[in-house]
Amino acid sequence: MEYMLLLYVDESGWPKLSKAEQEQGMAAYRAYTEALKKAGVFKSGSQLAPSSSGKTIRLARGKQQVLDGPYADAKEQVGGYYLIETPDLESALSWAGRCPTVGHGAVEIRQLLR
Amino acid sequence: MKYILLDYVNESGWPELTREEQRHWLGAYLAYMEAMQEAGVLESSGGLQQTPTATTVRIRNEKTQVLDGPYADAKEQLGGFHIIEVPDLDAALSWAARSPTALHGVVEVRPMHDGTFLTEGISKYLKPE
Repeated sequence: MEYMLLLYVDESGWPKLSKAEQEQGMAAYRAYTEALKKAGVFKSGSQLAPSSSGKTIRLARGKQQVLDGPYADAKEQVGGYYLIETPDLESALSWAGRCPTVGHGAVEIRQLLR
Repeated sequence: MKYILLDYVNESGWPELTREEQRHWLGAYLAYMEAMQEAGVLESSGGLQQTPTATTVRIRNEKTQVLDGPYADAKEQLGGFHIIEVPDLDAALSWAARSPTALHGVVEVRPMHDGTFLTEGISKYLKPE
């Protein structure tokens, strides 16, 4: 089964970290990605640029509205994602539990329609 | 530049549609993805199962918390995504505006980092010395 891990993070936290802490944080994500790859469950994954650089589009009464920023005005924003392939939800949850994001944000696990 | 188009949709709407209307919307999404494919901009797409099947995991005070449901308790939820490669944000916005989701929900357009510290050199993501 294919699952999407949505990484919800507090974007304001990163700039406050020291360089050593940032290095440590990135090393943790790299190690996690490597572990996913080694186990053969990694399909794809990426960081997203900060949500302030995003835009949202909707059509309201036939008129296109383009707004700056993300859809949800929440404390935590989607900062990245992984697509993984695991036998079942339990195993997807156990991979999600190893993601560094769970220590400082939250990981939402969603099964893909296929 | 790579962009992800995040489709936020009202999940309660789908079951209320007639079969004919559902067929219409599925056709619209299919046509949209075909148009992106023909233009050579579509890298990948995915639809997500509805949020009652979602789970959220976090660790607080060294304890793992596993909760049923999505991260955000919002009216509209992430229902799918498209990853596209286009020259600039304007082009990404114009594809987003053609999405059937823009008619009934919201499309969030987010630039993706070119490369990622997950797989590449990390120095460009660090504070300057």
